[in-house]
Amino acid sequence: MLRIIKSFSRRVLASLFGRKSTVKIGFYGPPNAGKTSLANRICKDWTGEEIGVVSKVPHETRHVQFKEKVEIKHKGKNLTFKMVDTPGIATKIDYEDFLKYGIKKNEAKRRAKEATQGIIESIQWLDDMEAVVIVLDATENPYSQVNITIIGNLVARKIPILIVANKIDLRKADIKKIGAAFPEYEIVGLSAKEGTNMDEFYEALFRLAKKT
Amino acid sequence: MPYRCVHCTKTYRDGSQEVLQGCTCGSKFFFYIKEEKLREITSQAPEEFELTPTEKKQVEEDVREIAGVTDEEMPVFLDFESIRIIKPGKYLLDLGKLFAIDKPRVYKLEDGKYIVDLAAKVKPN
Repeated sequence: MLRIIKSFSRRVLASLFGRKSTVKIGFYGPPNAGKTSLANRICKDWTGEEIGVVSKVPHETRHVQFKEKVEIKHKGKNLTFKMVDTPGIATKIDYEDFLKYGIKKNEAKRRAKEATQGIIESIQWLDDMEAVVIVLDATENPYSQVNITIIGNLVARKIPILIVANKIDLRKADIKKIGAAFPEYEIVGLSAKEGTNMDEFYEALFRLAKKT
Repeated sequence: MPYRCVHCTKTYRDGSQEVLQGCTCGSKFFFYIKEEKLREITSQAPEEFELTPTEKKQVEEDVREIAGVTDEEMPVFLDFESIRIIKPGKYLLDLGKLFAIDKPRVYKLEDGKYIVDLAAKVKPN
C-alpha cells in the first residue's frame, strides 16, 4: 500500500513539475555475477567514476555502495536514478572457499563474517528499492535457490525487475537457459566487462524505470 | 511433491489446503521444491560440530558483531533461526527467513542459545 502511495505521489509531482524525481534502482544477484562490474560500467559511462572494486574472489563487495545521482541520456530520453550496488546473496559462506585464492585463514574468516553481514544488509535495503536489476552469470545454472528466492521475493513485494544475463563474452554463456528459467521477465544479455550490448540494456532500464 | 512458502519457508505437500488457499502466514506465494532438494536443505541444519571454548567465544563475538548487538546480557530463545554459524567463518543462511519482512533475524550460536537482531527492524539510512 505504501509503495502504491509513494508511486502515486511521485507521478503527481512529476506531472506537476514536468519531471520525474530520482528512482532508486538496486543491483541484486548471487556473488561473482558481475553486479559491481555492471554498476562500474554505467557509472563510468555517465558519471566518469567507478562505484567499487571488482575481483575474481567471491564476496568482494561486502557493503552496500551507492551513487546518489546517475543521469542517463539515451536517444533523446533522460533518466535520473540512485544506483545501489549490493553484496552478493548466498545460502552458504565458508571461509575455506577463499583460501584457494591465496587469502590467509584469519583474513578469510573475516571476509566470511563481512560477507554474511553484507547479505543481511542487501536484504534490508530491499525495502527502499523501487526497481531492481537482477544480475546473473550467464555461464552458471540459473535454477538456483538463491535466484528463485530473490526473484520470488521481489515479485511478492511487487518491485519491478529486469534480469541481466552477464558475461556473454564467455563461450559457456547461455542466455536462452536464463530465458527458459524466467520466461515472464525481460532479459538482456550483455558483457559488463567488455561493454557489449549496453545500448539494449539502457533501453530496458528506461522501460524498468517507467514501471515504478 | 512439496511446495515452500516464499515468505515464511513453511513446506506443504502437493494438493494441501494451504497451497490452494494460502499459507498460515497469509502468503499465497510458493515455490516448488524437489524432494531431494528439500531433504538436502533439512539435513543441513541438524549437523553437529564440536567447538572448542575458543571457537565458541569467537563465534559469539562474530555473531554479535554481525547482528550489531552490543548488550551481552541479552538472552533470547526462539524456535527458528535464519543464520546458523557452524564454526568461525562458516555460515549457513536461510534466505526464505531472511527475506521474510516481519521477522527479526535470529542467529543460532549453539543448541539452546540464540541472538535476535532487534536492530534489523530499523531501516537503513
